[in-house]
Amino acid sequence: MFKLSAEGLNYVQSELTRYETKQSAIIRCLYRAQDENGGWVSNDVINALSEAMAIPAPQIEEVATFYTMFNRKPVGKYHIQVCCTLTCGMMGGRELLALMMKEAGVKEMGEVSKDGLFTFSKVECLGSCDTAPMLQINREPYTENLTFEKGLKLVQDLRTKGGKLESQISKEL
Amino acid sequence: MSTNTIPCTINGKDVEVKEGSTIIEAMKANGVEIAHYCWHPGLSVAGVCRMCMVEIEGNPRLQIACNTQVVKGMKINNTSDKVKDAVKWTLDFHLINHPLDCPICDQAGECGLQDQYMHYGKYEPEMAEAKVKKHKVVDLGPRVVLDSERCILCSRCVRFTDEVSKTNELGIFNRGDRADISTFPGKPLDNNYSMNTVDICPVGALTSKDFRFRQRAWLLKEHQTVCTGCSTGCSTKVFFNKEGLFRVKPVYNEQVNGHWMCDIGRDVYKFVNKEARLFDAKVSGKGTGAGNGLGAEWILPKRAALKVGETLRANKGKGVALVLTGQHTVEEYDALLGFFKNDLGSDRVFHWVNTVGGGPESLEAFDGLLLRGDRNPNTAGLKESLQKFGIKTQWKELLEGLASGAITTVVVAGPENQTFFPDFKAKVVELSKAPRLIWLTAGKNLDLDNLTGDVTLIPLKSYLEKSGTFVNHAGLRQKIAKGLTIVPNALSLTEVAELFAGREIEAAESCSSIGVGRVQNEATTVRGSL
Repeated sequence: MFKLSAEGLNYVQSELTRYETKQSAIIRCLYRAQDENGGWVSNDVINALSEAMAIPAPQIEEVATFYTMFNRKPVGKYHIQVCCTLTCGMMGGRELLALMMKEAGVKEMGEVSKDGLFTFSKVECLGSCDTAPMLQINREPYTENLTFEKGLKLVQDLRTKGGKLESQISKEL
Repeated sequence: MSTNTIPCTINGKDVEVKEGSTIIEAMKANGVEIAHYCWHPGLSVAGVCRMCMVEIEGNPRLQIACNTQVVKGMKINNTSDKVKDAVKWTLDFHLINHPLDCPICDQAGECGLQDQYMHYGKYEPEMAEAKVKKHKVVDLGPRVVLDSERCILCSRCVRFTDEVSKTNELGIFNRGDRADISTFPGKPLDNNYSMNTVDICPVGALTSKDFRFRQRAWLLKEHQTVCTGCSTGCSTKVFFNKEGLFRVKPVYNEQVNGHWMCDIGRDVYKFVNKEARLFDAKVSGKGTGAGNGLGAEWILPKRAALKVGETLRANKGKGVALVLTGQHTVEEYDALLGFFKNDLGSDRVFHWVNTVGGGPESLEAFDGLLLRGDRNPNTAGLKESLQKFGIKTQWKELLEGLASGAITTVVVAGPENQTFFPDFKAKVVELSKAPRLIWLTAGKNLDLDNLTGDVTLIPLKSYLEKSGTFVNHAGLRQKIAKGLTIVPNALSLTEVAELFAGREIEAAESCSSIGVGRVQNEATTVRGSL
């Protein structure tokens, strides 16, 4: 049974006072709850939020299923979202996605790899066309100007470097 | 709300409309036809179906009528080619993923899509894409089934659960062509008003578990009446054919129920159907043809009533008590009380107060919307009549009379609908202590059947088989009219009173029925004639 942490509950309360209507706070609170629940929104998460926000569960479910940023199924530790819209698509985004999925041992999008590390999604434009092809891991800053080699290396590094994200790795370097 | 009116022009006709009304309200008020799905007068404006497009002079683009307020001097048109074209295309978009399974759809015959397609259909579909397959036969709750493919996402049902029942069970999940209506896991659509979502669904997406696949809509006749499920007295219509009654729907009544009715009221028709009814009078005990007092004979209700009347009058009402329930019409109370008071000179009339789950305080219960704890249509009317005849008795006087032997004959009138009398069995036991029992009721009942003493059962008419007046909890008098006959020999209390008094009863009153018109499709260009 999922429960929001004490800070999480505080966060929800402060978000509720931020907007004209309570419903406006749903997206922010869902993000928080999704992070606390390991990257996905379970029914329990929605029930917990419904209780914390005093909003009927179906109204939260409406938001959670409308936006693709909320995962209603479990995801791996790294949810790799590869952009395949026009510019990235022309620059090899789709091929890159297929290659990375093969490297990670994942057959279908949305599937969690056996080691529990990877889930891949094809996403629509993330607004960084000048650095195409690009991808986003979880809610970290973008990983940009990719090539097939960089993509493969990214999967390998994530697997071997004890689960550190590239942004964290580059910060350490 | 302001009662001022403002002038405007609708389809070239100058009209006055209420200030602050939207274009669609103004059109409805002036009898102008306009296509629409998502707009419902009892719900908030959603503006999602885009069917109610109108042309407003001076405005280059078409506007939706449901969300545009009328302003002074506005010139509105919904018959221009531009509007027709827009509506035609909008409708075609609604049908992109609609399965068009009308032959097996329960809504066929009373479907918004069918009706509007007759008027505004494109008839030359241009959609090349395959239809998106969605869930069929989704069990939303104990009374409602969803077919997602038929849904056009008008959101009426979602708004109903949000705004009227305030139970918030439904939502539109996912988006684009995957969007569908659903409930959240573990929270089914289970409230006492859930069937209203079936009524307001303009297509066959939400259907009633009770009604689906039992009849086609066009094989049913309608009869408008008043719900007898509680003392609110909602305006309803029953749907029936020669096989019996099939369902009850609400009729708009601003004073009483608005657009809605509760699910309990929708089950009221079940006690009227012939499976539940007592058909003939049953006379058992002493003096029957069966002889030994153990058997019983079934005779014509009219004869039974005349016979009972004879003995009542012969004894000059000595030791006779009458028990009444709040289930009958004012006219019936007056007739029967008139006989007891004037012909027999008896004051022993008792009000059988039924409570559904609880003490007398539960009679005052109210769920905040429509349903009241007093599950009788005419308790107020009965009290009125009792007062008129100056009768002030208490139930315990009846019990004392039975115990002391002062009361030897009990005439029980009702109830028509036994399901709202949880104490029925207890009362049968209590009242069967009377040496002679005459029980008038509409329904078959095993407890009554098993009585062995001097008992006469006389079948009564249901509320749909007679005319009269009900007085609701607020004192509003509502007339009901005879709509159909299910048990031909059953009697109303008025007739019973006449027969008791030894008078012949008049011939049966005739039924009213409503004809259904046929809509011709203006888009069909080649049509023969017969």
